[in-house]
Amino acid sequence: MYEISLLTVMSFSVIFALSLNLITGFCGQISLGHAAFYGIGAYSAALFTTDGGSFWLALPLAMAVAGFFGFIVGFASLRVRHDFLAITTMGVGFLFTGFVRQQDFLGGEEGIAGIPDPGIGQIPYMLLCAALAAAVIAFSLYLKRSWMGHAFDAIATDEDTARTLGIDVARYKLTAFVFGTALAGLAGALFAHYVKFVEVESFDFIESISVLAMVIVGGIGSVWGVVVAAAFLSVLPLLLQVFADFKLLIYGVLLFSVMYFAPGGIDSLMRMVWRRISGRRTAA
Amino acid sequence: MDALLSIAGVSVRFGGVDALADVGFDVPQGALLGLIGPNGAGKTTMMRAVTGMVRPQAGSIVLDGVEISRLPTHRRVRLGLGLSQQIVRPFAGMTAAENVALAAGYAKTADPLRALATASRTAERERAGALLDLVGIADAADALPAELPLGYLKRVEVARALALDPKVLLLDEPLAGLNTGEAARLADTVVDLNRQGTTVVLIEHNLSEVMRVCRHLVVLDNGRKIGDGDPAEVMADPAVRDAYLGAAEASGEARDAAA
Amino acid sequence: MNYSDLLIQGLVEGCIYALIAVGLTLVYGLLRILHIAHAGIFTLGAYVGLLLTNETGSFAAAFVITVVAVGFFGMAFYRLFYEPLLDKPPHVALIASIGLFVAMEEIYRIVFGATSISFLAPPLKDTVEVAGVRLEEGRIAVVVLAVVLIGGLAVLAGRTRIGIAWRATVSDAAMAESFGIDLARVRYINFFVASALAAAAGVMVALLLNQVIPTMGGVPAYKALAIIVLGGLGNVKGTLIAALALGVIESFGTIYLDRVLDRDAIAFAFLIAILMIRPQGLFIRR
Ligand SMILES: Nc1ncnc2c1ncn2[C@@H]1O[C@H](COP(=O)(O)OP(=O)(O)OP(=O)(O)O)[C@@H](O)[C@H]1O
Ligand SMILES: [Mg+2]
Repeated sequence: MYEISLLTVMSFSVIFALSLNLITGFCGQISLGHAAFYGIGAYSAALFTTDGGSFWLALPLAMAVAGFFGFIVGFASLRVRHDFLAITTMGVGFLFTGFVRQQDFLGGEEGIAGIPDPGIGQIPYMLLCAALAAAVIAFSLYLKRSWMGHAFDAIATDEDTARTLGIDVARYKLTAFVFGTALAGLAGALFAHYVKFVEVESFDFIESISVLAMVIVGGIGSVWGVVVAAAFLSVLPLLLQVFADFKLLIYGVLLFSVMYFAPGGIDSLMRMVWRRISGRRTAA
Repeated sequence: MDALLSIAGVSVRFGGVDALADVGFDVPQGALLGLIGPNGAGKTTMMRAVTGMVRPQAGSIVLDGVEISRLPTHRRVRLGLGLSQQIVRPFAGMTAAENVALAAGYAKTADPLRALATASRTAERERAGALLDLVGIADAADALPAELPLGYLKRVEVARALALDPKVLLLDEPLAGLNTGEAARLADTVVDLNRQGTTVVLIEHNLSEVMRVCRHLVVLDNGRKIGDGDPAEVMADPAVRDAYLGAAEASGEARDAAA
Repeated sequence: MNYSDLLIQGLVEGCIYALIAVGLTLVYGLLRILHIAHAGIFTLGAYVGLLLTNETGSFAAAFVITVVAVGFFGMAFYRLFYEPLLDKPPHVALIASIGLFVAMEEIYRIVFGATSISFLAPPLKDTVEVAGVRLEEGRIAVVVLAVVLIGGLAVLAGRTRIGIAWRATVSDAAMAESFGIDLARVRYINFFVASALAAAAGVMVALLLNQVIPTMGGVPAYKALAIIVLGGLGNVKGTLIAALALGVIESFGTIYLDRVLDRDAIAFAFLIAILMIRPQGLFIRR
């Protein structure tokens, strides 16, 4: 059913966007190659279940594999900052697609088809995705309030000063990378078992930019803003044919206009509206 | 020697400039040591070498028996350094109280996973409130850094360093931007803290406050140490007078005239 | 293919990378913006050059008009899109630039169609022999162009008033302004030069491949980013060396690394390896 697919797509997109928000939003480390980890999760889950492995084990497996590579990339990222980091992570994305294309065991250009159905039916699968999305939202909200969130906040603002307060910046960044990439892997596994077919194009630079668009449009670091943006942007191409035809154009224009007119994204717009409403209430 | 902080043979070169050339001095337990010298003498560079923000080409720095000169900044801080920087660096998105509370939570931020396990900030907020009160800016607790004048930000910086419960408090020109009354009050606070057991290294251009509160002076000029000892004796040394006092008195007079 | 073939192919590719990357590094040096949309300007050059050639029948005339026109387009682009963002945090311009690039590719697709366009009569397709290697005239033209344009720029930068103003601004904008240099003018000229070079590269790539498609800017653009980072962000000499080196490495890598990585990923493998050793790039900016 149509609504079921929409909700399923929305759910794993929300997980994917929040996973990047953890790295880029909370911890301030820009990543232009996040789709690689979505892909790593999707491919490892797909390989595992097409080989007869259980879907339920595939989810933690995908998280572990993506998180492992996230750890390595995070480690590399410790050496570079700002623009150098942006290009390094972009490079990681290209390395991933460039590697997968040449590997027979990953299906090369053709990809992996015939990924088995999780066998629980469409509605329960949608509910599973939604429940996991809800869990990731709750986790994000909690993390932001926890001391880890404060430390991330300090690192995102000024990592040198964070060090003078005794914060081990490297370990926090690594943690952000591992958490964020593991969650991207989870989203990738859910995606792979929804479409039942993975190919490298689904995880290329454009996909990295699309998920970045969700984070930016939502408001970097804002949980609810990113949830709203991811939910909308992920299903708009399914809802509106014009959007499907011009999806990239709209993403491009959105990225630019948000940066140009409202760098705080949906989050700052929601806050503004909220302030108006509560302002009026106190005035009345 | 039971120096709490012992610095020996530290040299820092920036390109062709010797910011510090073979400088060493001891900071005894319980000292209130003034580190002075004209502009560009290398005082801030020494502070940054102690905290690990610049890497000296040579030298050793021992804190409470531990050689720290190869350790990363955060490890040194956790071994007992607290730094208030000359150029204030508050976290722009946090209020003054949140800035201080983040430092006060140092035990909770020691390990990322432990940090994730705790969310309560009540104790740290209280501590932050008390420290802001101590440095005389309790009224600024809920203000964002952008809304505060320099004299306030300097004191947020000091409160943040204090929140780390340091063994050695490193203060780089904490009195700059404060009026005479505020400066004297903050200097008195530093003296109180020192009496309660905190060892303090104070970098200041405000010589009258330095002479009033410090019991030991180290003088730098052009990256070299030219004086080390009792304030009155050091100041009487002709070398110090020549190299330092000429310039400092002139700028001191200019500052007094401006005030 | 033997080694000298690979080397010459690599150098030709390297010259194209250089034409694209020099503009990118100029923009970075002056404004600290990673100008991803530079690739969109490259593609624009390819379309305009090819369509004008087909229209007028003269490749040379089309080339000159394209380079100048796209140069002016670059100035307008800067004025409209970047200038208002200059005082925002750095990620703002970066992300805006990515958005612009994605949008530009889409506009080309909508305007020119998703399928490729070719020259009616492909110019410079004869081959000549150079140092024992048979080469298309087009490839030789690429090398000549790169040497003439970039060499000419280097001379201008050293000798003319505006060149000196430009160098002063790159090394210290505030200082340059205090000496009465008109920063806005330097920035406009910078964008003119960068965009004109990208357009020249675009036309030449269109010529070598004898086709233009909306997404042709992607791969060279990302590689140009890798190159300017390797070259030490903002360092022109470093960028030139990195561009030529990458061209050659790719050309050999296609033979030896093909089983592991596809050609377009080699640049980034190389980049990441280098950054791990030298986090500021091969050549630190001066
Ligand atoms: N990061 C740096 N790069 C290059 N030179 C530097 C750097 N930091 C300091 N210097 C130089 O080192 C010398 C010492 O500077 P430092 O900031 O330590 O002096 P200071 O004693 O703190 O002066 P002030 O009283 O003005 O704060 C100066 O000549 C300064 O220009
Ligand atoms: Mg100083």
